Amino acid sequence: MIAIRQKARLLRAAFFAVFACLSLSGCISAKMYVDSGLPNVSKSDLPVAPHPEPVQVLFEFRTKGNANANATARIAPRVIAAATESGLFAQVSGTPHDGAGILKIVIDNVPLTDNAAAKGFGTGLTFGLAGSIVTDGYICTASYTRGGRTTETTVKHSIYTTIGNHEGPKGLAAMEPQAAVNLAMDQITWNALKQLADKHAFD
Amino acid sequence: MLSTDMVTRHRSVAAIVCLISMLMLGGCVSQPAMTYQASIDNTEVLLAHPTGKLSVGSVDAAAGVANRHLSIRGSELTGGPDGTFAGYLRDALMTELKAAGRLDPASTTRIDGTLTHNELDGGAVKNAKAVLGARFIVTKDGETVYDKTLTATHQWESSFIGAIAIPAAFQNYPAAMQKLVAKLFNDPEFIQAADMAPATAAAR
Repeated sequence: MIAIRQKARLLRAAFFAVFACLSLSGCISAKMYVDSGLPNVSKSDLPVAPHPEPVQVLFEFRTKGNANANATARIAPRVIAAATESGLFAQVSGTPHDGAGILKIVIDNVPLTDNAAAKGFGTGLTFGLAGSIVTDGYICTASYTRGGRTTETTVKHSIYTTIGNHEGPKGLAAMEPQAAVNLAMDQITWNALKQLADKHAFD
Repeated sequence: MLSTDMVTRHRSVAAIVCLISMLMLGGCVSQPAMTYQASIDNTEVLLAHPTGKLSVGSVDAAAGVANRHLSIRGSELTGGPDGTFAGYLRDALMTELKAAGRLDPASTTRIDGTLTHNELDGGAVKNAKAVLGARFIVTKDGETVYDKTLTATHQWESSFIGAIAIPAAFQNYPAAMQKLVAKLFNDPEFIQAADMAPATAAAR
């Protein structure tokens, strides 16, 4: 009888230990909000290039100034797609062409919230009750070089992320993380192309 | 006395089960190095010297150099497409040359290499670093025209939280490799050995 009680207590202890660990791992949802400061730009907002030339696109995504290979691989196809769709170039490629211009786009992800990791850690410890919000900034430097002439521009954007029980920024729609990142990167690329076009880089 | 023993045993079992569960949930991750991406800086250096095509020969690892696994706080980074970091370096050289239109497998000017140092220190609470080194040999029609060992150090901000520090270390290893390759491409002796002439301003 005593042995059965001991086993029962052992099982109970094990169950609570596993339960506690599972609870700690928690499913605390994260929602993202894309800042509304950057206008939506599409092909119709761009001037028609009088003599479209082929272009080689050089793209790199950085995190705090350091190259981020994973993000570069994910976002590069979107940048090339935007450049192709823009109609500003005769041919768009990631490799060199004879006589091609070079469109260089670097997007650096810089955290704008102090101690974001500690905030997220606190949210996790309280099972999401003490929610938090962090802001990621994106600074894009874009340039177009052809025939010895270089035109440069800079585009800035932000994504807000709420974790756990925290309201999002007013007036912004909550998005799934991947959708928010895709939207922000597309907006950055299109705005960079428009700003370069406005500076007559492609004339 | 018996009761105290039982409580101690219960606590021990609970602690062990909890630890195992946490390890399973927290995950001791084993992840291959991310697919190498050409660095814009390296591509620009190569484009600034538009002549001279190169092939890439064999790249191996020196004895005693970690070539298959690098450990970061109990998690593991494994080598590139062939499972080795020497293979990852070879992939890096080919990717960079291809991005700049300079890779020609038939070229008789060839780069071979040996990984001489491969260190990933992601255990630090604040600043983590990777130190990579390689011996690069360039041969032209079978004759050695360049033979140098280069080292690159890359640092990044780490964290006491493993869930942040480990992915950051995984993410920064390719950046360290980019810096090692940059050391080669920026070396004036390599540029000369590879017959890489500078571009004229109008051609850029």
